[in-house]
Amino acid sequence: MENKELLKKQVEELAKRVNGEVEESLGTLVLKVKASYIIETLKAAKNFGETPCDFLHDLAGVDIGDHFEVVYQLSSLRGPQKLRVKAIVDRETPIIDSATSIWGGANFLEREAYDMFGIQFKGHPNLKRIYLWDDFEGFPMRKDYVAEPVEVRNVVRVRREDE
Amino acid sequence: MDVAKEKELREAELMVEKNVLITNVDKLLNWARGHSFWPVTFGLACCAIEMMATGGPRFDLARFGWEVFRASPRQADVMIVAGTCTRKMAPLLRRVYDQMPEPKWVIAMGSCASAGGPFADSYSMMTGVDKVVPVDVYIPGCPPRPESLIFGLMQLQYKVNNPGKVRLAKHGK
Repeated sequence: MENKELLKKQVEELAKRVNGEVEESLGTLVLKVKASYIIETLKAAKNFGETPCDFLHDLAGVDIGDHFEVVYQLSSLRGPQKLRVKAIVDRETPIIDSATSIWGGANFLEREAYDMFGIQFKGHPNLKRIYLWDDFEGFPMRKDYVAEPVEVRNVVRVRREDE
Repeated sequence: MDVAKEKELREAELMVEKNVLITNVDKLLNWARGHSFWPVTFGLACCAIEMMATGGPRFDLARFGWEVFRASPRQADVMIVAGTCTRKMAPLLRRVYDQMPEPKWVIAMGSCASAGGPFADSYSMMTGVDKVVPVDVYIPGCPPRPESLIFGLMQLQYKVNNPGKVRLAKHGK
């Protein structure tokens, strides 16, 4: 069997276990799950028998409008397989388990998603802003974020002692 | 201070201004400063690439005597702000400027440093570095060609050589 078919079989089996949906978008398999199943899903995807998706390519937040999504782009250094896992996160209480226990490289990526969307990653070792300064208010990539007026932005910020 | 004393001082000041030796030393100093800027490298974005090209052999900033790009603000007298200065970077820009010895000048290179450029409405941008440091010369362009930067430096040279013609508001003149 070819790589793609093997992967598809594995993903469909996994989707049944975690109540997920499988779709295909531009040749890439997309697995959508609820936030509470994410660690189980990622661990399983990392250990897919012949087609392991064991490399976290990218992690990003998305604002859909009524909910957030955390998108995990998985691939492997040992084959052509690619998998996109999307976790649906509630907008009012955006909490999801951290993937840093599976991939150490998720550390900075999760901090970026927190910085831009305010998604809380439970179990993250150092969850604070990465691009913006620590006393910045709000999460600028949310669709309902309104930027401060230019008069406020033009005031030069004073650096804090502990920065 | 009484009026008579003040008048006396004012007359003495006028005498100093008329003194041939002092004005000539001033002119000589300005001429020397204008022909040997030592820029501090403050490359923030794509404008920095153009700034490097200006220092390279094709555009050859060295023929004007301005090629000594310093990595330390303590050895520099011109700060070329080349690129997008975000609100996070602004306090650091101010610190580098404060560390430069007088006399010092600032060139805002490119539309980002001059007025915020295409990012002017962004949450992380302030509209131009003139909110942080006093800017002497603005160079438009996105990014400006090396010729523009050389022309901007020549304008600054003119400004340094003619402090009477070009009023330096920041020095209270």
